[in-house]
Amino acid sequence: MLYKNILWSCLLFFSLSSFVLPRYLRSVAANKRWVISENSSLLVNGSTNINKFSCGILAYDQTDTLTIGKTDKGVTLSGSIALGVQSFDCHNSMMTRDLRKTLKEKEFPKLHITFLSLSRLPELTAQPQLIKGMVNIEIAGARKRYEVDYQITVDVQKVIHLVGTRDVNFSDFNLIPPRKLGGMIKTNDKLSVEFHLNMTALD
Amino acid sequence: MRKILTSGLIAGCILFVLSYGGLFLAVRFFPALFTQYNNPLFNSDGSRDVLFYLHAFIISLALSWFWDRFKSLFKGAFILRGLEFGLVYSIIALLPVMWISFSSLDISIAMVSSWFLYGLMQAIIAGVVFAKVNP
Repeated sequence: MLYKNILWSCLLFFSLSSFVLPRYLRSVAANKRWVISENSSLLVNGSTNINKFSCGILAYDQTDTLTIGKTDKGVTLSGSIALGVQSFDCHNSMMTRDLRKTLKEKEFPKLHITFLSLSRLPELTAQPQLIKGMVNIEIAGARKRYEVDYQITVDVQKVIHLVGTRDVNFSDFNLIPPRKLGGMIKTNDKLSVEFHLNMTALD
Repeated sequence: MRKILTSGLIAGCILFVLSYGGLFLAVRFFPALFTQYNNPLFNSDGSRDVLFYLHAFIISLALSWFWDRFKSLFKGAFILRGLEFGLVYSIIALLPVMWISFSSLDISIAMVSSWFLYGLMQAIIAGVVFAKVNP
């Protein structure tokens, strides 16, 4: 009788776990890690009523990892990058200093992009895949969640190129767009942000 | 004193319209000249806009006092008196200030020259107004 109970218990356990374990195992199996390489970049394009400007951080100087996984709730993309405001270059020293001052570099020397999710699991091919995803962007101590348009491709060296674009506003982060000469020169609130991450997949 | 205030305010109103109107048009039609103002040297949060726009009245009232004190030295037709007054002010006050500004601040020669010309024009216009209102 005892053996019969143990046998039934084992059968019950395996039959129940067959619904649970494979799903769990699939989720783990789908988790992949992408290492961000140092030649990744961030570009910020904006305009004033008299000119346009383009500022960038052209050499991301850290090696961070993004983890992509599939769960019941969707595709998660976790990881973050921290970019030094000091590294911004607007190809014009005055403009560069002005942007750093606007972003409150002294109080908040880093801006952060935290990756949260993707709309679907991307197929890594040479053909650009257009997908959407959620990120948190933190600038000058203020954090805001955005939906980002991504384009993902893989080149012949198996480097994954993740290009994310999104328009943000200075005012989203409680920042005041610079205005000079009593407001006669005004920077527009809207900024176009584009980050280009070059990554390699960890096996 | 009343004459100084009256002529100062009249000149202030005229300079307000001409200076900021001219500046507005210059920014609109010659934007490339103003790209250098995207510089942290210049206030950018709007907290001093009122002070910026009061400048026309500050310079007018100061020049009005200066005119009242030394107007007897400027001879000839009112336009000539105003012109000479503007040149005197520019050489005595503006030139040294522009010199020290250029030597100590990270600004271009074009920017500092434009400030000198802007101040010279303001002083000439104010001088012509004073020569008419308070001869």
